[in-house]
Amino acid sequence: MDRIKILIVDDELIMRESLGAWLERDGYAVTTAESGESALALLKDTLFDIVFLDIKMEGMSGLEVLEQVKQSDPEVEVVMITAYGSISTAIEAMKKGAFDYLLKPFDPDALGVLIDRIISHRRQTRENQFLRQQAREHARFESLIGQSAPMQQVFSLIRDVAPTGSTVLISGETGTGKGLVAKAIHTHSDRCEGPFVVVNCGAIPEHLMESELFGYEKGAFTDAKETKKGRLELAHGGTLFLDEIGEISMRMQIDLLRILEDRIFYRVGGTRPIEAEFRVIAATNRDLGEAIRQRRFREDLYYRLNVVAFKMPPLRERKEDIPLLADHFLQQFARETNRAVNRISRAAIDEMMLYEWPGNVRELENAIERAVVVGKGTSIEPHDLPISSAVCAEVAADKSLAEMERMHIVAVLSENAWNIARSARILGIDRSTLYSKIKRYQIRK
Amino acid sequence: MGCAAAHTVAVSPIGNLQPELTAAVCGAVERIFNLPTAVLPLMDSVDFAFDHTREQYHSTLILEKLASLAPPEAFKVLALVGVDLFIPILTYVYGEAQLGGRACVVSVHRLDEGLATAVQKALLPARVAKEAAHELAHTFDLRHCKDPACIMHYCRSIRDVDRKSDRLCRYCRTLLNDELKRTGR
Repeated sequence: MDRIKILIVDDELIMRESLGAWLERDGYAVTTAESGESALALLKDTLFDIVFLDIKMEGMSGLEVLEQVKQSDPEVEVVMITAYGSISTAIEAMKKGAFDYLLKPFDPDALGVLIDRIISHRRQTRENQFLRQQAREHARFESLIGQSAPMQQVFSLIRDVAPTGSTVLISGETGTGKGLVAKAIHTHSDRCEGPFVVVNCGAIPEHLMESELFGYEKGAFTDAKETKKGRLELAHGGTLFLDEIGEISMRMQIDLLRILEDRIFYRVGGTRPIEAEFRVIAATNRDLGEAIRQRRFREDLYYRLNVVAFKMPPLRERKEDIPLLADHFLQQFARETNRAVNRISRAAIDEMMLYEWPGNVRELENAIERAVVVGKGTSIEPHDLPISSAVCAEVAADKSLAEMERMHIVAVLSENAWNIARSARILGIDRSTLYSKIKRYQIRK
Repeated sequence: MGCAAAHTVAVSPIGNLQPELTAAVCGAVERIFNLPTAVLPLMDSVDFAFDHTREQYHSTLILEKLASLAPPEAFKVLALVGVDLFIPILTYVYGEAQLGGRACVVSVHRLDEGLATAVQKALLPARVAKEAAHELAHTFDLRHCKDPACIMHYCRSIRDVDRKSDRLCRYCRTLLNDELKRTGR
């Protein structure tokens, strides 16, 4: 292990030498500086663990040096050295981030105890950082991020289901990460070495779907200049991910049901039966139960697909994950775009927590990307975000009266910085009614 | 000067000290460092290091003078004093040494803490010997040791001095042997 590095900053040579020699004998790597200016120069090149800093010096004062030291390296612990007459300054220094102060001359035992306390504090801080890192790791599953209970259940289900080979149906709103769940299941299955083939059922026109899925033989139709394997065949030994399964035609549903039952199909224009072995994962943002009732989706196919069901929670139902997700996207986009932005302000987080995120995680990702690109400072502020916690017009048509009321109350409270009296006046209700609605709708600041 | 060989440690009692303390120190040095000792009265007093404000003696000044007075044939020089020592930044020190250097000094002043009876006073030579060996080991570039039984353990209280043994732990022993080998002793 590296020796603890200590910097002593004092304009009195005798103090630097006597403390330095004492600490050297105690086994620390000691560097000394005769002024604040030279200390700051040293701190540019070397990471110190502890700085002993005299309060009264010629040139820069100890307090000025302290502020700059903490700015350049917030993790370094600074101990102010003070004479009897300047204890109030030492206390002010502690308010500015100094770890402690020592009144000179100090008791050797007090010095030893203080250094032990700093080392123990730093160890604790590092352990906490490690635990936080572990918690972040725990909050991730492949590309999925979330420490909320619903997401932890999703992670747990992925772990349980991935090795089984069962067919999986993932439902959830657009942007909730259904594709990421499918990929995570594939990655954690025995088929992870095999292909992961995606078929976006909503994006492929119906007349092309057959040839896309089954492939075709040379000459099967005018443009079939050569034989082409379909996606079912390409998925052999791996996973076939049927995204937007609720969008496929009834005719294709029949074909798909047959394939899922016997795993044998024919290329378009072909007569030779082709066998392919793959796992099927399907996803939809539609209510397939309702589609079955409306006879737009086959019930037998639904049961064939719905062996294991995943329900992805919308972001508004796991808002506690928003800061974690936002921070993840911030780090990612700041790195990709090489921007200096490195934090999200409390006000911006509050704004994000109030917003309903109809586009879910994908919308959040896009919002942070935009904020990183257009933001001017090192911090993302509310005005950098392309969202407003005000009522979202495009989703209003889907909302119940209660949901609309909740959103409107949230918007008014947000607009008025949670001034209850003013918000109640705008809403045309009295304060006690507003309080009861805040409680009923579980609106949080 | 009476140093027999160039690897002799000169032990220099300064002031009115009990002879058994010097004897205990010489014994510890010979046993722990396997080096011969010679008792050399290098100074009559350390009054030059007296600080009137603090009413204590500045140990660094004593070290500097010791190093200047040490005979060339003395490998190291170890002074024993009865006065209270300090360095400017600390309220007191039991002793001080030039890390990897030549001179060290140990004060008896605070080492007799809690020794009231004659039986208890018999503990003093052992305490002085331990602290003298500790300071002398610093001149061989040894630092403080975490092992509370090792003589290089830094003692926060006099009880710690009594608790630690009169030996180096095996790590500090190895470091000392390396240093002795490096300096050709």
